[in-house]
Amino acid sequence: MTHPSEARLDAWLDGELSPTEAREVETHVAACAECTRLRESRLALRAAIQSQLPGLQAPDVLRQRVRSQARSSVGGRSLAMLAWRVLAIAASVAVIAFGSWQLGVQRGRGESLADAVLTSHIRSLMPGHLTDVQSSDQHTVKPWFNGKLDYSPPVYDFAGKGYPLLGGRLDYVGGREVAALVYGRRQHIITVFLWPKERDVGAGPTVGTRQGYHLLRWTSAQYAYWAVSDLGLAELGDFQRLMQQADSATQ
Amino acid sequence: MLPHLDAAYTLARYLTRNDADAQDVVQDASLRALKYFAGFRGTTPADGRAWFLAIVRNTAHTWRERERGGAPVAEFDEEMHSDGVDHDPVATVDLQTALARLPLEFREVLVLREVQGLSYQEISDVTGVPVGTVMSRLSRARKRLQKALA
Repeated sequence: MTHPSEARLDAWLDGELSPTEAREVETHVAACAECTRLRESRLALRAAIQSQLPGLQAPDVLRQRVRSQARSSVGGRSLAMLAWRVLAIAASVAVIAFGSWQLGVQRGRGESLADAVLTSHIRSLMPGHLTDVQSSDQHTVKPWFNGKLDYSPPVYDFAGKGYPLLGGRLDYVGGREVAALVYGRRQHIITVFLWPKERDVGAGPTVGTRQGYHLLRWTSAQYAYWAVSDLGLAELGDFQRLMQQADSATQ
Repeated sequence: MLPHLDAAYTLARYLTRNDADAQDVVQDASLRALKYFAGFRGTTPADGRAWFLAIVRNTAHTWRERERGGAPVAEFDEEMHSDGVDHDPVATVDLQTALARLPLEFREVLVLREVQGLSYQEISDVTGVPVGTVMSRLSRARKRLQKALA
């Protein structure tokens, strides 16, 4: 029996062979003690690498330097601005959690709220404004808000559904300090604002379009949400359903 | 670039083997990225990451050449490097050390694959070497690591 080359065996373990080729190698390895040993040693190596060679976090000082570098080099050049947008944001959805939202806000506030939400969303697309805490890990993003808000916003990652969590930030909307969570969807951004339901205004339409952006508004058992994006309404609706499912699953 | 900054720093750190150089490489690379964005043709976040990592990788290679005082870097010889055992035959080294001792060309494919989870095609895009070469280089890199750890 001819052994597959080491490179071929590696490619098989890396999931890089076609289904037909993979079956051939698999059949051989199952019947070959030597190749089984090699396979096991490679799997052990992989496990060792994954436990001992971690992905690293860029130091904050570097993050700030790159951020300010981009700001200064952007100047007014639209191409660089576009570069920053596409790279920095690369398909993102921002979820903004409102903090300390005023109780008993008057009627009609819904409309100005929609403007505030949209303004915050658009401002977040400016260079360096997208996230304060940049992480795809909901267990990093959620605790980041501790001590910054008087509630702990629910944070989910929908990477498996094509809406990866990119991070979060604090922002100002309606004169209040608010928090934002950033998600990705291809080249698009969705901003979802959320705050405790009892502070909600509850006014205005649940679906809207302004300046080419779509806005959705809904409430869960605990929170009121706004989602903003230049994403198509259908996909924004899909994202909304994911949020709703995640919320009802955690209750 | 910010969403890819951790990935960029990770690659630069493993390639340069120290924090200060890694930070300089990433900063340099992000400037280049802003400058050369017009050449970017990708449409997905993964494209953006591979594109930025390629710039980081090339910047790290440029830095290495500069460190060598501008002396031309010989073309990487797969065969010459394929079986050499350059570790201390007495001491067992840890994985970090073993990786740090690999030639840059082996180190980068390993980090891109094992630490950053790129596909062979993406590694090929980042490093500019054909997929077949990525495959054999990765396999040789693993073999050398195992030898060094044995």
